[in-house]
Amino acid sequence: MSDITFMGVPRPKIPWAPTIDYEKCDFCMECDDFCPHRVFERRDGEVGLVVANPDNCVVFCRACAKTCGPDALSFPEKPEIVALIKRLRSEEDESHSEDGRE
Amino acid sequence: MSRVILACTGLDKAEGSVAREVAIRLAEETGAGIVCPVVLNRTPARYKRVLAENRLIVVDGCATQCAGKLAAAAGARPAQKVLVSEAVKRSGRILEPGLRLGPDALELARTIVDEIRAAETAASGETQGAGPTSAEVEFESPLDFTVVVHDKYEFRIPVTGYFFNANDVWAQVGGGRARVGISDYMQQRLTDITFVGPPAIGTTVQQFDDVGTIESTKATFEIVSPVSGTVVRANPAVADAPESINEDPYGAWIVELELAAWDEDRALLVDGPAYAVDVQRKAAED
Repeated sequence: MSDITFMGVPRPKIPWAPTIDYEKCDFCMECDDFCPHRVFERRDGEVGLVVANPDNCVVFCRACAKTCGPDALSFPEKPEIVALIKRLRSEEDESHSEDGRE
Repeated sequence: MSRVILACTGLDKAEGSVAREVAIRLAEETGAGIVCPVVLNRTPARYKRVLAENRLIVVDGCATQCAGKLAAAAGARPAQKVLVSEAVKRSGRILEPGLRLGPDALELARTIVDEIRAAETAASGETQGAGPTSAEVEFESPLDFTVVVHDKYEFRIPVTGYFFNANDVWAQVGGGRARVGISDYMQQRLTDITFVGPPAIGTTVQQFDDVGTIESTKATFEIVSPVSGTVVRANPAVADAPESINEDPYGAWIVELELAAWDEDRALLVDGPAYAVDVQRKAAED
């Protein structure tokens, strides 16, 4: 599924995914239990959870952070991501000027 | 209907102390009953009738949401939910270290109690708008639908009058206002919707900010706003009967906003026919 897009932009070009603060994370796994998109993966060893599939994360969704008691999950700033998407869309429009989709 | 409060009384962090203070103040000021989370966890039968017969307000300290989970386990449906840790962030305050309530924490508890009471008044339907300046705008029900069929599922999408973002949230626009709700595709993905938590009236949002949360038996969904503006109304019918979103996703609007930058917002939304193409693709990827 390498051709997945979001708002017309290739998903891998949008850096939207949670970051785990390992100083705070207690590996309760609430976020992993919650997320249906398999963004997280559990690991054996001291670091028991990683963001393994950032491109599976639904852009603008921060619902997993709302399950996190220790407040260990953070996301990029939305206005920066919106600005990036706008820029990438205008670049796509220029390079695919015959693409009929709005 | 009388109200009862189920609050975190947690000793894990300061937010728990604030939640406890909120519960005590609400009980004192409104005569509401208190459901002790520790007793509820140990002996659910003690509160079975109380939870069934009263309007339930859940106040959680942090995002672990123990009180909310206890309510769900008891089969209770909260009418209102508050999360202290989010209120802390919204207020820009930093709580004093330790579990005792300092001046900032007490002030925050006061604010949260006032917000709960204001939201209750709004939900009662008497003053659901932003006051006398809040004029009624007519929004018409959709007439024609495109139907996307995938396996045994059918997803309806209004052909005209609705604009969608890539997060499956729609906006119906008229008279400088927009009503916001979720698409038929998303309500079917969420399955049975059990709770809708709109933001406070007067909240200002940018396009793609959250305008509330929807909880279902399967998932929690952040409502990503398709528009920028100020929340002027929340739909009391949806608060009372969250399942109405499942029954009529394009009629069951969740919030109404005074638009701030519709022309700019519109450029990043798609119309019904374009959204139908997106739904076809998403359904195939599920």
